[in-house]
Amino acid sequence: MMHAMRRSFRRKLARGLTLGLSVLATSALAQSGDQEDVWFRGGPEAARHALIITGAAASDEIRARFSQWSNALHDVLARDYGYSSDTITLLLDDGSTAGTNPRVDGSSRREDIEAAVNRLQQTLAAGDQLTIVMIGHGSSSDAAAKFNIVGPDITGAEFATLLAAFRQQDLVVINTTSGSFEFSAALAAPGRVILSATRTRAERYDPMFARYLIEALDARTGDRDKNGRVSVLEAWTFASQSVQGWYSEQGRLPTERSVIDDNGDGNFSLEPSASAGDGSLAEIAYFDNHSAGPQKSSPEARALLAEMQELERAIFLLRGQKANYLEEDYWTRMETLLIDLARKTGRYHELP
Amino acid sequence: MNFPERSALRVALRPLSLCLLLQASLLALPATAQEPIVQMQPALERAEELLQSGSYLAAIELFQRVDGLDEEAGLLGLSKALAQTGEYERAIEALEDAISDYAASARLATQLAELKRATGQSAEALQILEAVVTGNTTPPVRALVQYGSLLQYTGRRDEARVQLEAAIGRYDAGLVFDAEEIAMVAQASWLLDRFHDANSLFTEAVRLDAQNLEAQVLWGDLFMEKFNVVDAEQSYNAALEINRRYTPALVGQAKISGGERSLAFALDVNPNDVAALETMATLLAMNDRAEEAVEYVERALEVNPESLKSLSILAAQAALHERFDEFAELEARVNAFSPGNARFYGDLADAFGNAYRFTEAVGYAGQAVAADPNYWQGHTLLGTNLIRLGQEEEGRVALELAFDNDPFNVMTSNMLKVFDTLEEYATLRTEHFEVRMSQRDARVLWPYMAPLLEESWATLTAKYGFEPEAPVLVEVFERTDDFAVRSVGLPDIGPLVGICFGKVVTLISPQTLDANWQEILWHELVHVFTLQMTNNRMPRWLSEGISVWEEREARPEWGRRHGMELVRAAQQNKLLPVSNLNAGFTGADSNEDLGFAYFQSYLVVDYISQEYGFDKLIELIKQYALIKEESAMFETVFAMSIDDFDAGFRAWVDRRVQEINVYVHTEDAADEGAAHGHGQRENSSAVMAELYNNASLKQHMRQRVQDQPRDFQAHLQLGIVLFKEEAFDEAKVHLQIAHDILPDYSGYPSPSLVLSQIYEREGNQAARLEQLRIMLQNQQHDDDSTVLLATAALESGDLESARYYMDRALAITPYRLDVHRIGAEIARRQNDPHMAVRELEVLVDLDVNDPVEARTDLAEAYLANGQAPEARRNILNALEIAPSYLRAQQVLLQAVDATQ
Repeated sequence: MMHAMRRSFRRKLARGLTLGLSVLATSALAQSGDQEDVWFRGGPEAARHALIITGAAASDEIRARFSQWSNALHDVLARDYGYSSDTITLLLDDGSTAGTNPRVDGSSRREDIEAAVNRLQQTLAAGDQLTIVMIGHGSSSDAAAKFNIVGPDITGAEFATLLAAFRQQDLVVINTTSGSFEFSAALAAPGRVILSATRTRAERYDPMFARYLIEALDARTGDRDKNGRVSVLEAWTFASQSVQGWYSEQGRLPTERSVIDDNGDGNFSLEPSASAGDGSLAEIAYFDNHSAGPQKSSPEARALLAEMQELERAIFLLRGQKANYLEEDYWTRMETLLIDLARKTGRYHELP
Repeated sequence: MNFPERSALRVALRPLSLCLLLQASLLALPATAQEPIVQMQPALERAEELLQSGSYLAAIELFQRVDGLDEEAGLLGLSKALAQTGEYERAIEALEDAISDYAASARLATQLAELKRATGQSAEALQILEAVVTGNTTPPVRALVQYGSLLQYTGRRDEARVQLEAAIGRYDAGLVFDAEEIAMVAQASWLLDRFHDANSLFTEAVRLDAQNLEAQVLWGDLFMEKFNVVDAEQSYNAALEINRRYTPALVGQAKISGGERSLAFALDVNPNDVAALETMATLLAMNDRAEEAVEYVERALEVNPESLKSLSILAAQAALHERFDEFAELEARVNAFSPGNARFYGDLADAFGNAYRFTEAVGYAGQAVAADPNYWQGHTLLGTNLIRLGQEEEGRVALELAFDNDPFNVMTSNMLKVFDTLEEYATLRTEHFEVRMSQRDARVLWPYMAPLLEESWATLTAKYGFEPEAPVLVEVFERTDDFAVRSVGLPDIGPLVGICFGKVVTLISPQTLDANWQEILWHELVHVFTLQMTNNRMPRWLSEGISVWEEREARPEWGRRHGMELVRAAQQNKLLPVSNLNAGFTGADSNEDLGFAYFQSYLVVDYISQEYGFDKLIELIKQYALIKEESAMFETVFAMSIDDFDAGFRAWVDRRVQEINVYVHTEDAADEGAAHGHGQRENSSAVMAELYNNASLKQHMRQRVQDQPRDFQAHLQLGIVLFKEEAFDEAKVHLQIAHDILPDYSGYPSPSLVLSQIYEREGNQAARLEQLRIMLQNQQHDDDSTVLLATAALESGDLESARYYMDRALAITPYRLDVHRIGAEIARRQNDPHMAVRELEVLVDLDVNDPVEARTDLAEAYLANGQAPEARRNILNALEIAPSYLRAQQVLLQAVDATQ
């Protein structure tokens, strides 16, 4: 199985995957064990769509905030991540601003949501990625977890049914609403990356998560590993830490803790990482397509690139096994790999 | 012993009894007078109800009517009711009249013995109880416990144990049934240090009879002994709900609240209540009202010449003032009835600890545990005071011994929990200081604290010509509770943010503080000097006065500016005489009062410094190292009486008030400060004007400035209202006038702050920044403005100013990311790799969102600073996250080259 996956990885390299993506793909591969290695492997040809659903607001002030976040997210995706108005669907509140705000495609009424989902289902091909961001209020009770849209609310189970059609696509759902946890849990399935702004039903106050998610994406601020791209895990890490910082600065006890599930078991993780139960898919799920850099023409450069990619893979494998090494041994090994990679990278950039 | 004839008493009481019987029957009348009287409540039952509810005089009258089969119970009740009103002699007489044989009248005799003990006749009490216990095959449980208690009190511990064990054995055999006796067995367990059993037994007693006042209060006392205030209060309140005049519960409540009201009420009920008198004396002594305290103690000793607490209060006063003969006399007096009483020495240790005389406190605590190694509170006192001397390990050993044997003592367990916290803390050192702080503070705060510590040492040793004992231990706590427990043993410490014990300083971390931590640290370090110079004998007012005065000496923007409060205090004649300045601290009813006590003490120090010179201040400090009256000290130093000194001070204050020349309107409230005078002071009237400006307020303020052109508050509020109305030009006029009236005003909002906001709205950045600069000359708590000015200075290339304002921001909070980014940029531009490393090391800790960039920057700075190994380690951390990050790869290769 491992061997087969490695071949699959090499095929992707041959298709022109570049350094950063290849590294992360390697990492996910290393962690995926016996899972089918099919998700979030889309190459440059894979289309990326975003569906932003902004629900009903409890007051004008909150409405203005939700609206501002939704527009900002729309603009950031368009400006920094290669999306366009064709690939972003924004369903905002009651849709009344559709005439004046060109970003708005409809309302957050159930029929508009269903129509948008059906349309996307028709549009998206296998291997394409759909990112759904939910902004607004949510609620959770013994009966059901709901997203407060205009008109009758939609439950997590109902929304899961709507999403069931996306079996061939990579799906990222970011639920930034209050009481979002149980709604999000209903959406968990293998191959999906689900982010919830809250981790329990009790966290029912409007979260700040959306604000910092947008900040993470804006100008790729959340790009933690400096590969020029923002993964879902990086965006989550940035937003999550910023939210905690915000509460600390305000001198308030945090009323939200965001979580991720990306192994489909519905057990959301507070501390996801590539080496933990959740995190390996989120790490390779990017908001954008990777644009290949200028290709080197010399055979030596190509060979060097292959070596660099092997080194990166080795680095990520070692990092994933950190707990199994004595600290000194770990860093000695890591340093050897990193020095080698740095030297090869330097040489690579000198080559034609 | 002489017993009067019982019949004579009974004859004498009879006419009164008839009368009372009638009264009692009337009390039992049904509500409808027409209905026939069908049943009369027995006198004993009614009398006991009255006793229980606190109608003591009525109870006394009724108990005297009881005879026949209830006679003994009536006498017992009578003696208790008399005792509740302080008529101990009458109670004793009544019992002595009734008893012909102690053993035969065991219950009455036990009560008699308790009264004898309460009135200082412990030898007689012992004889009576011995007769009761030896004269009965199964003496009452109460007699066993009282006998055991008294034997223990008189130092006969082995014999005491036998009696107490016998009482417990009775319970174990299933022979104790009622609540009173179970409470007695609980007390026996308590006396034998079986605190868990005692607690369970009190629980059982109260469950059996929740109306048993004695059980409730004894249970409360057990909790109090263990510093479990919450449960103690519950018990006392339960008793007071039944009988609001029950003095033991009132005394318990007063011990918790520290209020005199409950005590005054208790003494109304029973003017001879020894516990109430002693508690009042303790409170007065703690508030520096020693003379009044002594009066209460003398009253207590008149009632009970053998009162240990009273004698220990007197002995503590004698020892504190080094009247050694008097002390020896008092010690001998205690030893006469209770030889080697550990609690006596424990009380002395406590008194010395409260007076900051920790060395002596340790000595007395040592004596206490030597007298009775099982006196666990003594070990706690020993440990607590050792810690205050900086002898932490020895202190911990004592506390652990206390905890192992008395785990219910909240103070002990709290103190030990702080040790657990400290185990996680870093220990850092400079030449003269040893500092404990959290690992995070060690990374973020320490780089700025370390130089300040040594700066204070160099400055103050030179200035005071005195070198304190080093290292001084400084402990910085992240959690306020830990700070409070470390400082006073319990988690509630009010608004305090730093405490100096002479050789040890405790502080709240700036992480949980909204004040200038550097000023607080400096303030406390000045205490190190003044306390050590006087062997911790300096009175609080002078020590605080000097520390506040030194704040401003250290940095011009530090210190307190209470010009308006001074004028107000002078107008209201609230200035205290110099001879009574400590009362400003001990008698403060509010934070505001306390804040002004600090300010007035500062003024006295400022007065001495300005009018007599700093050398005189040093002379005065040295006087406090001696044992003499304060008035004599002033005579020696200033060659005048303290009253004349005070008159001079008042004249000086009057001149100062004239110079301030501000009109203070009676309708304006004083500014409200936080953090014990170190924090931001808020001008609530101006804040209200900012929030709710309206036409009527504007009109009113216009009238005020017309009436009184130097009405600062009116100009300020008018300026704010006009600003909100966007009448900027007129607003500026009033705000400028307000500023000119009180240029050093440091409250929030200040005229300069509002002016800066106006200029910001007008788009005049230069004027805005200038107003902020003016404001920051006197305002030390506004980190946003300091960061703004630092950024502006950086942008304009004025690196000196940028660094100045960055330092000002760091004094408020070292946890702001932007401050360190400014610092790193200054360092880069000034080519100061050392500073760059300092700032970037902190940034690595604070910048959780971009660790790769932060570590790469730091590694570069390490390289520039010649720290290649550190660079190498750091860049590996960055590359572990981002192995393909080109800049970091280059730094790694440079670091590798540099280390080869």
